[in-house]
Amino acid sequence: MTIYSFLFYFFEVSAAVAAIAMVFSRHVFYAALFFLVCLLCVAGLYVLAWAEFVAVTQILIYAGGVLVLILFGIMLTAKMGAKPLRVGHGNVVSGALISISFFSLIAYYIYAQFSNATTSGSVLNSSNTVETIGLSLMTSYMLPFEIAGILLLIALIGAAVIASHKSKSA
Amino acid sequence: MESATLYSPAFETCLVLAFFLPLLSFILSLTIQEQYAWIVSLSAPVLLLISTVSAYYVGIQVWDNDPYHIQYTWFSVSSTTVHIGMLVDNLAALMLIVVTFVSFLVHLYSLGYMAGDSATRRYFAMLGLFTFAMLGIVLSDSVLLIFIFWELVGFSSYMLIGHWQHKPEAAAASRKAFVLNRIGDAGFMVGLMILWANTGTFSLVELASITNISSWNTIASLCLFCGVIGKSAQFPLLTWLPDAMEGPTPVSALIHAATMVAAGVFLLARVDFLFSPEALLVLVIIGITTSVMAALAALVQTDIKKILAYSTISQLGLMVTACGAGAPEVGMMHLFTHAFFKACLFLCAGSVIHVLHRAQHQQHVHFDVQDVRNLGGLRKKLPFTFLATTVSGAALAGIPFFSGFVSKEAIFTALYEWKGDSFSLRWIIFGLAFIVSFLTVLYIVRLIALVFLGQERATQQLSIEEPPIIMRAPMALLAFGSLWFIVSWNPFAFNGWLMPEAEGHSLFLTIFSIAWVASALVASFFLYRNNILITAEFLRQSFYLNYLYERLVGRPVVALAVLTEKADRKWIDGFLHTTAYAQILTAHIFAWFDRAIIDGSVNGTAYTVRLIGSLTRSFQGGKIQFYVFIAVFALIIFLISSLI
Amino acid sequence: MLPVTHLLYLGAIVFAAGLMMVITKRNAIMVLLGIELMLNAANINLVAFNYQHAHNLDGQLFSLFVIIVAVCETAVGLAIVLRVYQEYQRVVPDQIDELKD
Repeated sequence: MTIYSFLFYFFEVSAAVAAIAMVFSRHVFYAALFFLVCLLCVAGLYVLAWAEFVAVTQILIYAGGVLVLILFGIMLTAKMGAKPLRVGHGNVVSGALISISFFSLIAYYIYAQFSNATTSGSVLNSSNTVETIGLSLMTSYMLPFEIAGILLLIALIGAAVIASHKSKSA
Repeated sequence: MESATLYSPAFETCLVLAFFLPLLSFILSLTIQEQYAWIVSLSAPVLLLISTVSAYYVGIQVWDNDPYHIQYTWFSVSSTTVHIGMLVDNLAALMLIVVTFVSFLVHLYSLGYMAGDSATRRYFAMLGLFTFAMLGIVLSDSVLLIFIFWELVGFSSYMLIGHWQHKPEAAAASRKAFVLNRIGDAGFMVGLMILWANTGTFSLVELASITNISSWNTIASLCLFCGVIGKSAQFPLLTWLPDAMEGPTPVSALIHAATMVAAGVFLLARVDFLFSPEALLVLVIIGITTSVMAALAALVQTDIKKILAYSTISQLGLMVTACGAGAPEVGMMHLFTHAFFKACLFLCAGSVIHVLHRAQHQQHVHFDVQDVRNLGGLRKKLPFTFLATTVSGAALAGIPFFSGFVSKEAIFTALYEWKGDSFSLRWIIFGLAFIVSFLTVLYIVRLIALVFLGQERATQQLSIEEPPIIMRAPMALLAFGSLWFIVSWNPFAFNGWLMPEAEGHSLFLTIFSIAWVASALVASFFLYRNNILITAEFLRQSFYLNYLYERLVGRPVVALAVLTEKADRKWIDGFLHTTAYAQILTAHIFAWFDRAIIDGSVNGTAYTVRLIGSLTRSFQGGKIQFYVFIAVFALIIFLISSLI
Repeated sequence: MLPVTHLLYLGAIVFAAGLMMVITKRNAIMVLLGIELMLNAANINLVAFNYQHAHNLDGQLFSLFVIIVAVCETAVGLAIVLRVYQEYQRVVPDQIDELKD
C-alpha cells in the first residue's frame, strides 16, 4: 500500500461519502458544507491525477467563488427566524429509482469497456503542466478562451441586472 | 247461352215485361219526390196490370208446351261456372199468373185501404219489390238464384210487416219474421252447399236429370226443407205468421195468404226429384203436425186476422203433406185455390177493419176492431163483405161447388193412395187430415158467425157502410175465383183442365168427404146456436210455442250477447289496453336505454377523452423537477434499449 | 498507477447523487447544488480520461472551461433564485408553477 494509493482511496471515499451525505442532509447549510468537502477531495484527486492546475482552479474558483455565492444565496433566501431552514423531500421513489438505475447503467458501461484498460501516465510526469496549459490557451484554444471571457461578461451583467431589480412593493 | 227456339220475340217481350215491371214500380216509387207522391198511386197499379196481362200471355203460350229455358253465364271461377237464367214451365206459368194477378188486386185494394197513410210511396215500392222478388223465385232456373230471390222476398216482407214504424209491436213482429226466416234459410244454405258438393251444379234442369238417389239426397233435401219450414211457417218455425198480422191487411193478403208462404210449397214442387222416401216421410209428418196444431189454435183465437193466420198455417201444412205424399202437383193445386180464397178472406177482414176504423174516427168511439168478441151482426150493415166472406169461407171449408172442395179432394185422394193397405203411421196421418178438415169447417163457421151473424155488440151505435168500389172489386174478383170452375169443369172431379193426368179418383172418397163436411157444418151450427165458445188458453197461446222459444232460445242468446259484450269490453279491450301499456312501457324502457346507455356512452367517451386530456395535461404541471425526472427517464430507457 | 476505473466509478456516484438532489430536493438552492455536483462529476471524468491518455492536456483544458461555465451558470442561477424569492417569498420549485398549462 503506497502513499499514493492510500491517499487516492481516501480522497475517493471521502468524495463519495460527502456527495451521498449531501443527498440525505436536511439543512441547506450542511449540504453546502458537505459540498465543500467534496470539492476539496476532488481537488486532491486531481492533484494525484497529475492535473494540478485544474485542482488549484477548482479550489480557488469552485470552492472559493461558487461555494461562497451559494452560501450568500442560502443566507439571503432563508427566512429570518430562530429555526434553521429544513428542506423536505419530494419524488423520493422516482428520484431514487432514476439515480440508481442511471448509476447502474454507467457502472455497467464502465465495466464493459474498461475492465482491462491500461493507463499510461508515465508520459505525463516530465512536462510542466502550467506552461502547457498556458501555451494551449493562447494557441490552440484561443477561441474558447475568448468566448469564455465574453460569457463571463454576459453572466456578470445578467446576474447584476436580474438581482438588482427591485420589487414593486419595496 | 241456350234458348228455346219455338218462342217468339213477343213471348220474350211479355216475359221481360211481366218480370221487370214490378221492379220498375219499386224504383219509381222510391225515387219520386214528395210533391209528386200521387203519381205512385197511379203508376204502381198500372204497371202491375200490364205485368199481369203479360204474365197471362206467357202462361197461355207455355201451358202444356215445352218449357222455355234461357241461360246466361254469370261468373266463372277457374274451372267452375255459375249460370243464371229463366225456366218457364207449367208450374212456373201457374205461379206467374197467380202472383201477378193477386199482386195487382192487392195494389188496387191498397189504394183504398192505405189512403191517407203517410208513407204510401215506401209501401208501393216495397209491394213492387216483393212482387219482383216473388217472380224471381218463380222464374229462376237454378236453386242458387231461387235462394237469392228467397232472401229478397224475406227482406221485402220484413219491410212490409213493419210498415207502420211507429208501432213497436209491428217492429217486433217484422224482426221476428225476419229472424225465423233466417233460421230456415241457414238450413237452406247448408242444403245448397251439400247439393253443390255432390253434383257441382245448381241448375234445375241438370239436377232433374240426376236419377240416382244416394244418401246425400236425404240430407240435402231435408236442409232445403228447412228453408221451407221457415218461409211457409211449418212447425217449429210457425210463430212468426200470427205476429205478422201487425202489418197492413193487404200485405197479409198478398204475402201471408197467396204468395210468400206459398213460395215454400213452390220450392218443394220444384225440387221434388231430390227427395228420398225418408225425407218425404219427414215432410208428411211435419206437415200434418203443423196442420193439426194450427187448426186447433185457430179454433180459440179472438182476433180476426189471427184466426185467418192460423188457418193459413194449417192449409200450408196440408200442402206440405200432399207434397210429402208424393203428389206435388196436388199441393200446387191446393196452393192455387188457397191463394184465391184466402186472399179474399183477408181482404174481407181488411174491409171490416177499415170501415170500423173510419167509423171510430168519425164518431170518437174506441174499441179493438179486430177482436171478434166486439163484433157481430155486421151482415146487415156490410152485406157485400158478408157475401164475399161466405163464398171464400165455403171454399176454405171444402164445401162442394167451391174450388177448395176440389183441391181438398185431390189431397185426400193422394193420401189415400199413399197410405197403403196395412195399418201403420200412414193411416194415422190419413185420419188426421180428416180431423183437420173438420176443424177447418168449425173455425171458419165460428168466424163468420161471430163477425156477421147474431146481434151487434160494440158496433151497435156506429153507422158504417161498405168500403169504396176500389176495395170491393178485388174482393169480388177473388171471390169469383173461389168457385169450382177455376180448377175443373166438373165440380166433383179434380182431374179437370188444371190437372188432366191426375189418377186415383175414388167415388167412395168423394161421397165420404161430402158427408164429412156436412156433419162438420151441422156440428158447427150446433155449437153456434148454443153459443158454446171453446176456449183454451193453451191453444190460444199457440201451444205456448212463443213462450217456449223466448225462454229456450231468446234468453240464452241475449245472455250470450251480454257475455260476449262483457268479454269484449273486459278481455279484448283489456288485452288491447295491456298491449298499449306494454308498448308504452317498452317505449319508456327504450327511452331510458337511449338516455342512460347510448347518451351515457357518448358522454362517457367525452368524459374519458377529457380525463385522458387532463391526465396528459398534468404532465405540464410546471414542476421543474418532474420535467428533469422525465427527461432522465427517457434517456435511461433509450440507453437500456441500446443495451439490449 | 492509479486505476482509472475507480475515478470513473466515483464520477458516476457523484453524478447520481447530483441527479438525486435535483429531482428530490424541495429547495432551489439544493437543486443548484445538485447541478454543481453533476458538473463536478463531468470534470472528474474528463480528468480521469486525461490521466489515461496523457499525450496532450485536452482533458484538463476542457475541465477548465467547464469550471468557467459552471461559475457563470451559478451566478445567473442565484440571481434568478433571489429574484424569485423576492416575488414569491419562498424557493420551493414545485410551488412556483405559474408557467404551467
